This record gives sequence, C-alpha cells and structure tokens, in this order.
Amino acid sequence: MDILSDNALMLQVKAGDLERMSLLFERHHKALFGFLFHLTQRREASEDMVQTVFYRMLKYRNSFAEESNFSGWMYHIARNVLKDQKFGLSNKYDMIGEHEEKIAGGTLADERIEKSQSRKQLYDAMGMLTEGDREILMLNSMKELKYPEISKIMGITEGAARVRVFRAVEELRQIFIKKGIKGANE
Amino acid sequence: MKCEEYRNQFADWYMERLDAAKKAELEGHLDTCADCREALAATQFVLDSISNLPDPEPSARVRADFRTMLDEFKAVEEKNVPPNGFWGQLKRSWALQPRFSLAYSLMVLLVCVSVVFLISRDSKQEADVRDLRAQLNELKQTKLLALLDNPLASERMKAVNYTGEMKHVDGRVINALLTTLNNDPNDNVRLSTLEALAALGNQPEVRTGLIKSITMQNSPVIQLAIADVMLKLQEKRSVGSFKALLKQKDLDNEVKRKLKETITKLI
Repeated sequence: MDILSDNALMLQVKAGDLERMSLLFERHHKALFGFLFHLTQRREASEDMVQTVFYRMLKYRNSFAEESNFSGWMYHIARNVLKDQKFGLSNKYDMIGEHEEKIAGGTLADERIEKSQSRKQLYDAMGMLTEGDREILMLNSMKELKYPEISKIMGITEGAARVRVFRAVEELRQIFIKKGIKGANE
Repeated sequence: MKCEEYRNQFADWYMERLDAAKKAELEGHLDTCADCREALAATQFVLDSISNLPDPEPSARVRADFRTMLDEFKAVEEKNVPPNGFWGQLKRSWALQPRFSLAYSLMVLLVCVSVVFLISRDSKQEADVRDLRAQLNELKQTKLLALLDNPLASERMKAVNYTGEMKHVDGRVINALLTTLNNDPNDNVRLSTLEALAALGNQPEVRTGLIKSITMQNSPVIQLAIADVMLKLQEKRSVGSFKALLKQKDLDNEVKRKLKETITKLI
C-alpha cells in the first residue's frame, strides 16, 4: 500500500502519529465542507461541522480498520454529525445571499447575474427534495465514493443505493420541469 | 435488459463507475434506443447541474481552528498516555475511583476489626464477635447494593468485585447481581457480574438465574462467556436455553460455533 494513501495515513494516526491528520485535513476538508454546505446551506455551521468531523476522527481513530475506506468513513461520520445538528433548510436564502455577494460586480456582471440566477434556481430545486434525496445525490457526486461506500454510509444495500440515486435524480428532474428549467425534458 | 434497467445505470455511467463490459453494453443499447438517449441527456443535465454547483471555499478560520484543535488534542493525549496493556489500564481505572469512598470503607473496616480484636481477647464474648462479623457482612452487602445503582460503570464493577470478599451472600445480593447481568448497559460490568455469579455457582438460585439469563444476552462476548460458565458448572438444564439462543437471527458465527460445541459437550 502507498504510504501516503489516505488509508495508510489514517492507520498511522491510529498508531499514534496524530500529526498525520493534518495531511488528511489538507486533502479532504474542502470537499467535506462543500458536502456539508450544499446540504445545510449554512457557511459557519458547516465550518464548525468540519472541525467536529475531524475531531471525531481523532477521537474514534481506533474504530478505523485496515479494510475501511477513508472517505467512506469520513462521510459516515459527517452524516452522523449532520444528524446530531438536525438542520432543516429553512434559511437557505440567507446563504444564497451570502454566496451572491462574493460573485457580484466586475466586467462580466451580466454573465454572473445569469449564472447566479440559475444557481439560485438550482438551490431552490434542491431545497424541494427530501433530505434523504439531497443527501444521496451529494454522496453520489463525490468522485472518491463508489456504491460500496455510499451504501455503507447510508446503511442500505448497494442495490437499494443505486435505486435511490436513480429515484432522486428523477425527482430532481421533475422539479426542474415544473420550474421550467430547460434541458430536463426527455 | 429492459430500458428501465439501463436507466438505473445512468448515474453509474455518468460517474464512470461501470466496468468496461457494462459500459459497452449500455452504450450499445443507447445507439439503438432513441428514448433512452433522450432520458440519458435529461439525467446528464440534472447530474451536471449538481456537479457544477460552485465549490464554496471555507474561510481561513477553518485551517487555523483545525491546527488549534489538533495541537490541543495532541497535548491532552500526551498527558494521559494510557498505561500499556491490560494491567496498566486496570491500575488506572482503580486510581480513578473516588478516594473518600475507599477511605470510608477502610475506616469502617478498621473500626470493626479493632473492635473485633478487642472483644476477641475476651473469650467469653465470642458470641458477640460472631454477631459483629455478621454485621460487617451485612454492611458490605448494603454498600454493594447501593454501589450497584451507581451511574459510573467503574463503581458498579467495584460492587460486583466485592462479592468475592464475602463469605455469605444472601438472596438480595444474588437478585441484584442477576438484574445487573441482564440489564446493565456496560459489557465489562456484565462480564464481571457473570464471573462473580459463576463463583457462586454452588447455589441453586444462581444456576437457575444464569440459565434464564442466556437468552437475554445479545453481546457476543457475554454469550461466549456464559457458555464457558455453563460448561464449567456442567449445567445440563442450560441446553434448552442455548438451543433457543441459536434460533435467534444475526447471531455471531463464532458464538454459533461455540454454542453448538457447548451443547454437544453438555449432552
């Protein structure tokens, strides 16, 4: 095994070399933040949850087994942290406002406004999904996760995970159609 | 394959999770089926919009906070490096016991022992000595029962270990121990309780209680341990309970093997 692979690093953390966690942090904290942010639409809370996830990985490092998949394990913990926080999506527009600030202005303002419009529509559509559908779509979009990990994270079989992804995509597509977003019609 | 089944694979195709054969098969189907091509385009559009969600940048605070958290965590860990091995852990858990309760026990013991000693010099009062011993035993039992209700697992463990020092254990204590064995949330406490009860195996109510308890255990460690105890006690009446336990679903394979072995040895 590559000594710098995620799994190898995590096993070193488990063996007591806690500093190795900082490498894993550098590699994964952005994607993890993105995952939490897209699901909660809250910036500060997501940043706090990133800390909590890394803290729990340190604290429960002994539960990481040689055959575990690091990303799968991390998102599993992240999902538990999310569950503990019990976020709804009620304040999603606050966040979109926050996001818009960062991209507004400049010479390409028109294009940006257009982009932010469609982004707003997309967040809106995502907000209409059930929490479970949103979650499985976000997990599905993580390159480092495959069905064995996704199904483990969700606690369901691989077959069921595949069907749920399919249904969630279908659900979102129907919402797109209802909202008149082009490109979603068959 | 039906169109429906191919469509189930669209997300995999999109995320490049299909193996070469499946990929070729799906793409072959797409060449011939216009409906599926359109459905794929729609799926692709949906998945594209998710992947195109802008990846938000966490603020600089996240990295700084992580650094602080990691350093603090390391400092705390270094301070309480757990002593090596099982014995070290055990010693440490003893060191954690509230000291005044230990001091209290020692003082009571000391007073009693000195009283006993003083009295025992007078041979006429042997009866009193016996009486005092009985009282001391009673005191221990009462303390044990109180400790068994303690929210701290380490305290309950201590209570269970007390029984080893007792000469006579009455029905109340046995009942309390059996209740602990069946209901305590902590595996270690239940394991110690089982050991304590096994030592009292010459009492018929203990044996009956243990047999009843077999089907109530869901931790593999305890299931294995209880099988050992029954073997040691050569308790043939336990076979029925083990058979009932074997019927339970999601029983650990190791446990299954052990139970079958125990049953054959007992019969």
